[in-house]
Amino acid sequence: MASDTDYDSDGMRGNGDGGLSEGNGRRRKHPFMTWRNNLRALVVDNARTCRIMESGLLDAYGVEVEAVGTGEAAVELIASGETFDLIVLEMFLPFMSGPETARTIREMGISCKILGIAPMYCEKDAQEFLAAGIDEFLEKPFTPELFIPFLMEIDNQK
Amino acid sequence: MEVGQLQRRLVDYTKSLLTEGILDDQFTQLQKLQDEGNPGFLVEVVSLFFEDSEKLLNDITRALDQQSVDFKMVDAHVHQLKGSSSSMGAQKLKNACVTFRSFCDEQSMEGCLKSLQLVKQEYYDVKNKVETLFKMEKQIVAAGGSVPKTE
Repeated sequence: MASDTDYDSDGMRGNGDGGLSEGNGRRRKHPFMTWRNNLRALVVDNARTCRIMESGLLDAYGVEVEAVGTGEAAVELIASGETFDLIVLEMFLPFMSGPETARTIREMGISCKILGIAPMYCEKDAQEFLAAGIDEFLEKPFTPELFIPFLMEIDNQK
Repeated sequence: MEVGQLQRRLVDYTKSLLTEGILDDQFTQLQKLQDEGNPGFLVEVVSLFFEDSEKLLNDITRALDQQSVDFKMVDAHVHQLKGSSSSMGAQKLKNACVTFRSFCDEQSMEGCLKSLQLVKQEYYDVKNKVETLFKMEKQIVAAGGSVPKTE
């Protein structure tokens, strides 16, 4: 169900909007939480306002964030050697869908936590996305209540 | 009006938007992301949200205006608007999108047109109210005060 109207789906890394940080290397001075380990997350969402908010929230909670707008860009980033502790992956990406992206990432041997996100929860979508290799399927908004437990789990396991 | 009064007015106004369900806790989470290092974060991201939403609303309007309506395309646009509204904390707008999607599923033209009206209404309502909120914040800063955090 990828939308034909692609909002900022060029997938370019670091395509901040009007100076807004989408992560991409910039860290908040005083995060709301600190972790024993350095945690890195990749946000993959073609909807730019969602991408910016998701990145902003993770950054605020002490996570180093990279954000891209397409599945292709995510795969390219990982193929280039970038490693992440967490991937936040929108289901309805244009071109390479969320499930296709998840499948490709898993086939590359990446075993980190992947959280699939979508505008609405749907059992059929959840089954499809989980079968493709994500660990959890979450309905937006991507809130601290949702992601903090996963960050704690990841931090404890590192 | 002195700074304290302006600050109290802002707090009361923000609380009313939360009580009325126009905004939800997601918006207060985003407000917390604004700090000295990122003072314009919320204003900037909300501007992008308004820009993207208006484009989506135009796309939906155009799609419903076609001779043969592609309800799947309409649904895709509404779906995306639902996602960004919920990410921004625009609760009533988000809920209007949920209702809209059910009419897309039923391929009900009448339902879709009514829903579009409601979604537009909710969009302009949240836009006006958030813009008012930002104006109030500006007044506080201009008067030499700091913007109080919403608890």
